[in-house]
Amino acid sequence: MTTTAETATATAVVAFDQVTKSYGNVRAVDGLSLALHPGETVALLGPNGAGKSTTLDLLLGLKHADGGTVSVFGTGPREAIVAGRVGAMLQSGGLMEEVTVAELVRLACDLHPKRFKVQDVMARAGVSQIADRKVNKLSGGQAQRVRFALATAGDSDLIVLDEPTTGMDVSARQAFWATMREQADQGRTVLFATHYLEEADAIADRVLVLHRGRLLADGTAAEIKAKAGARSVRFDLDGAIDEAALGTLPRVTSVDVSGQTVRIQSTDADATVHALYGLGVYPRNLEVAGLGLEQAFVAITEAEEAKQS
Amino acid sequence: MNSLIKLELARALRNRKFLFFSVLYPSILFLIFSSSAGSDDHVDNTGLTVATYLMVSMASFGALTAVLMGNSERIAKERESGWVRQLRLTSLPGRGYVLAKTAGAAVVSLPSIVVVFAVAGAVKHVRLDAWQWLALTGVIWAGSLVFAALGVAIGYLASGDAVRPITMIIYFGLSILGGLWMPSTTFPQWLQDIAEWLPTHAYAALGRAIEQSQAPSTQDIAVLAVYFVLFAGGAAWLYRKDTLKA
Repeated sequence: MTTTAETATATAVVAFDQVTKSYGNVRAVDGLSLALHPGETVALLGPNGAGKSTTLDLLLGLKHADGGTVSVFGTGPREAIVAGRVGAMLQSGGLMEEVTVAELVRLACDLHPKRFKVQDVMARAGVSQIADRKVNKLSGGQAQRVRFALATAGDSDLIVLDEPTTGMDVSARQAFWATMREQADQGRTVLFATHYLEEADAIADRVLVLHRGRLLADGTAAEIKAKAGARSVRFDLDGAIDEAALGTLPRVTSVDVSGQTVRIQSTDADATVHALYGLGVYPRNLEVAGLGLEQAFVAITEAEEAKQS
Repeated sequence: MNSLIKLELARALRNRKFLFFSVLYPSILFLIFSSSAGSDDHVDNTGLTVATYLMVSMASFGALTAVLMGNSERIAKERESGWVRQLRLTSLPGRGYVLAKTAGAAVVSLPSIVVVFAVAGAVKHVRLDAWQWLALTGVIWAGSLVFAALGVAIGYLASGDAVRPITMIIYFGLSILGGLWMPSTTFPQWLQDIAEWLPTHAYAALGRAIEQSQAPSTQDIAVLAVYFVLFAGGAAWLYRKDTLKA
């Protein structure tokens, strides 16, 4: 007899079940469960230190979970890699030095059980022009493209990329994502980590938001954007400030008063400000600003925690 | 795995500085050290001429240089840069990296041995039987695996800036104390007592036994075997630790 959970694991490209990983006292990944399905392009989004790299390392078998299970194509990560089903690009992953780009790409192709032709891999990754250059003489962006070539040296079913556009300028970034999309269009599952919401929005069908090693949100980029679209409202008030009343304003997630200055976080700044005037106060120096992704995550977390309590 | 070995080889053969130090440097040292001795001068208690004696020392030294110097530093560096992690994302078996490194070193150590022999034969007129030349080459080449294992162990033990000085201290310590540069019989007695138990001393002694057409001493073989087990075991243990931690 097969349970539903087992069936889901068997068909899933990647399945995490209650995975934990700690470094000393720090829980980098904390009871993480998720499943990726064939053909999806998924962004793993989170601020620095959210556990993105650790999650990818666990997925690739570079680290071992303290608890829970990680399965890739229904097997362990290492088995999936040996079978040639996974291609991966690590964040600033080192390259063998003093060899040429072409030699390194040839090595990656040779080591892949379902290898592509070296020329094709280099052309797709945009490194044909620098084929004869020594690896240790490359610029940051060129090195990233070489890493991408290594990740796509064969016909893998899953491509994993850890912050692949780090160190690229805007045009290189665009070119990179165009290449990436080709990979996805060929039916591959793509998982990439990023801390740019815009990047996740532009590329991914599905966004997983990670915060402090937990899965905070799982949805389309638009849903996440709405959730993370928290704004901060800041203004000054004269006289005594009724903090409780401010807390009852619509869509407010937090109120912070220091001196005569009020800072409010809201998931709908328009509604909050509109209602603010209804309190009969006269806010001065009113400012409404978007929150950075990191603050937005904190806002979502607090909202989630408030909901639970 | 063969493709990684091929690439490691291509890289080693392309590195002129490394080739100079491991292939030519021992021969140059051989010529310098043997220049003061006449062709009839003998090293005490061995029955060998100075040039014959030094030939084994320098061939051993050259093989040691090739297998120890290249690998320890490169492994430490590649562990740090993340190349070792990148390789773990390929179908390459876990041991493949270390085996490729060892094979790469072994290919460079062979010419360093042969060049010393050629120089000794041509310039210093060292004459041995054909079987002796072959046995010497085989024993010194095979024996260098002991130090290749040591190089791998250092590469997994040390990191960053520490790896070069550590390698240098071990390299010169083993070379000089083991009697590769000057016969250890010139040392004070207490130092000779220590030197006798060093792997480099046993290593060169095996070569000398062949030159003297004698059976190698069991102590030397045992010393080398124990060091090989220690170094290879240590390297394997450190490798596994590094893999789990990474």
